[in-house]
Amino acid sequence: MGAARPRAIVQVPQGWGYVAPALGFLALFFVAPLIAMVWRSLHLKGAENAGLTFDNYERFFTDASLWGALSNSLELTVVSVAIALPLSYAMAASIVFAVPRRLQVIILLLTILPFWTSYVVRTYAWLIVLGDRGLVNTVLIALGLTDEPLALVNSRTGVVIVFVHYFLMIMTLAIYVSLSRIPANLIKAAADLGAPVWRVFLEVVLPLSAPGVATGVFLTVVLAVGDYVTPQIIGGGREFTLPQAIMLYLGRLADTPLAAAMSFVLTLIALGAVLAFSPWLKAGRS
Amino acid sequence: MIRMTLVSVATLTLAVPALAEEVNLLAWCDHDDPALFAPFTEATGISVNVKSYELTGAAISILEQSRPGDWDVFMVDTADVRRLAEEGMFAPLDPATLPLGDLFPGALLDSHHVIDGVRYGIPEKFGFNTIAYDSRVLGKDGKISMRELFDAKLKGRVAVYDYYWPIILQLGQMHGIEPADFGIDDLATIRDDLFALKAQAKIVGDLVSTQTAVNAGDSDLVIGQAEWVAAVKHDLPYLNWTIQDEGGIWWSESLALFKDSTKPEAGLKLIQYLMSPEGQARLATASCYWGFPASAAATLDDTQKANLRFAEVDSMLAKARPFPPYDEVLDAAMVALWTEFLAR
Amino acid sequence: MTQVMRRVAQGYVAIVVGFIFLPVAVLVLFSFQAGRLPLPPFNGPSLHWYGAVLSDRGMMTALATSLVVGAMASAVATVLGFLAAYGVARHSIAWRGGIEFAMLVPASVSYLIVGLGLSVFLNGLGIRPSLAAVTIGHAVVTLPITFSLILSQMEPAHVQAENAARDLSASDLEALLLVTVPLMMPAILAAFGIAFSLSWDEFIIAFLLTRFEVTLPVEIWTSLRSGLSPFINAAGTLIFLISLVIFLAFVFGLRRRARS
Repeated sequence: MGAARPRAIVQVPQGWGYVAPALGFLALFFVAPLIAMVWRSLHLKGAENAGLTFDNYERFFTDASLWGALSNSLELTVVSVAIALPLSYAMAASIVFAVPRRLQVIILLLTILPFWTSYVVRTYAWLIVLGDRGLVNTVLIALGLTDEPLALVNSRTGVVIVFVHYFLMIMTLAIYVSLSRIPANLIKAAADLGAPVWRVFLEVVLPLSAPGVATGVFLTVVLAVGDYVTPQIIGGGREFTLPQAIMLYLGRLADTPLAAAMSFVLTLIALGAVLAFSPWLKAGRS
Repeated sequence: MIRMTLVSVATLTLAVPALAEEVNLLAWCDHDDPALFAPFTEATGISVNVKSYELTGAAISILEQSRPGDWDVFMVDTADVRRLAEEGMFAPLDPATLPLGDLFPGALLDSHHVIDGVRYGIPEKFGFNTIAYDSRVLGKDGKISMRELFDAKLKGRVAVYDYYWPIILQLGQMHGIEPADFGIDDLATIRDDLFALKAQAKIVGDLVSTQTAVNAGDSDLVIGQAEWVAAVKHDLPYLNWTIQDEGGIWWSESLALFKDSTKPEAGLKLIQYLMSPEGQARLATASCYWGFPASAAATLDDTQKANLRFAEVDSMLAKARPFPPYDEVLDAAMVALWTEFLAR
Repeated sequence: MTQVMRRVAQGYVAIVVGFIFLPVAVLVLFSFQAGRLPLPPFNGPSLHWYGAVLSDRGMMTALATSLVVGAMASAVATVLGFLAAYGVARHSIAWRGGIEFAMLVPASVSYLIVGLGLSVFLNGLGIRPSLAAVTIGHAVVTLPITFSLILSQMEPAHVQAENAARDLSASDLEALLLVTVPLMMPAILAAFGIAFSLSWDEFIIAFLLTRFEVTLPVEIWTSLRSGLSPFINAAGTLIFLISLVIFLAFVFGLRRRARS
């Protein structure tokens, strides 16, 4: 950008003036609260004035159920994102390459529209759609595809279905943005040079859409790891995730320090995800 | 623009009107209907602010984040009244100002509300953590034993309400352990049953999901909440509820006045209203959930009384056992076991 | 692309759109249920529950509250995000990476933790939970989005236009307000619209940080505890319509701007 121009160098301190309000805001209302939470996690419940202790963390890492809740959260995240990604990619690619240009925005709008229904209300609506006597099972039985209703809710299957539904909207949008920026003549040129479709895809389209994929994966990983609503409503007690464990200890025992310790572990994992994705996230902007 | 925004933010913070007299009530969601307090505000000019919470732990966090005097009246789980009173949270209540004579004698639970002769709370509403069921599947006589939950025919048909106290205590009753005597050592006794229950369960979930499972026909029976059925009787007449042979558990909610309240007179007036026949009837049929009014004088109509099986209250209270007083150590041990149950 | 592949792709798009609309269709259908349970069989249509929602004072107050909180939180996030993006776009590259990373970090932390942290922190300062706290929380979680969206649309051409303005002796502030802001208006509006729609539907932060005055998702959560009811479906459908109108207003606002 303008960095090479002499004027830009003169403006460096001024640039800070523009960035400072946002950074200050985050320092005060994001970093300080996180520090307060970590501080709280280093004390036992009811002993806020006693010395620092790692007991809450030790408790977390030695309790097989809490530890299991974390690995469960991660498993669920990987499965849901892994299913949502190819579905979303195919959706975004179909919109870009197979839908007439003037209809694309409308289709895209339709794809993300349900995002604007209340998340909680939408999730309860899934209970009815996926229940034993719900729409999906009724249709499956009528078509003779199954004799017994499938356990589509109160199971991991249900949580994954609802997550995939949610993530499809976000990922399709993110990947669409990347794909639609690829110049059509670039693809045409590759095809004209005799490259088969799969090679055009692997060597031209896929690399250029990587930033969109990274953005989509990053956003959905964070959502999946931290979501309380879907496993709570749809899991039916068969899917115990870390956010549920946090809410259990917060709500039932008012054990804020243990909840804070678990939250901090969750935060570190999410931060790891940002670090892992940051090269691609940045690449998306240049 | 930033300044404008900040000014608006500041205005928002300050925009808490303090014109009319107000009382602040911390309560469960059955106190959320604005209609509940309409007659009270009309008669006294006092308006009521309600913050609803779900679990005592959450309420304690809210209190920790408040300043003394922020809250006037606390609607709290009866099982927690004694320990909170002992911590010095509540102001004494003068029995002469309360309609104690109207209450169902079985619902009084004085051991929870009265410490050394001083009353700190009054029971307001109660209900049963027993069994609600689909009578088309399970027959109409309503005679059910806890053991039947483990029958092969109910495999994958049971809904379990996600609240560990009543479920664990009712499993204990299966082994002849009185809820009041249940201790940490007894957790080992019921452990296998609890995990067997998970294997039988279609769903372990909150009020809404377990009720939906029964309403939609995904489950034949729910353990942990019973009289909610009274509210849907009109639409689903085949749903019924019962107290299992082992006796079951009943829950209760109480009203208490905060010691730090700056408006104790207004707070007491609110308690008196909620305990009046009109307040009691409105509360019993609250939109969030139905339950039994603690007062036998509640002005419920005949259909409401029939749906709630009001005539049987005394015998039901005699059969079931109340929640034992809260025990912090037992609570933490139960949560640890419940976490394991959920994680299976 | 061959004709067959095109047809297959179009069929796939139709299936996915159908899947995406499945819960919404059920949600809307049962808002017209006549009975008390939003479960099959459908026995409507009836407008009864819409009447109930519109005459529910708590619901209407919460709706107004959510509009105010959403507007203020998105205003704060958009202004701060715009200024930061503007600053970063003029920074030496070495700093840029670090600042961008710092601005993105809040997006990696789940709302539950932002809410919990703010509640512990404000409590420590002796500040009560309030709508202002919710506004701050929502501004924190939407700031990364407004920032990266606006930054992604800041193009070198804007810098040149701005420099040209300065060469014509405009002050920095004038250049910012008269050249950059109008040029960036589509991105600013889009950022505001997205931030608003996120704040509008956010539950857990609002739940942890409010007292008596609650936002719409918290009010809905509270009424949900009474069990499923077509009332909730009707409320959900109305919210959907309102969000849709706001969203479309922004999209068409964008289009018009882009054309002019």
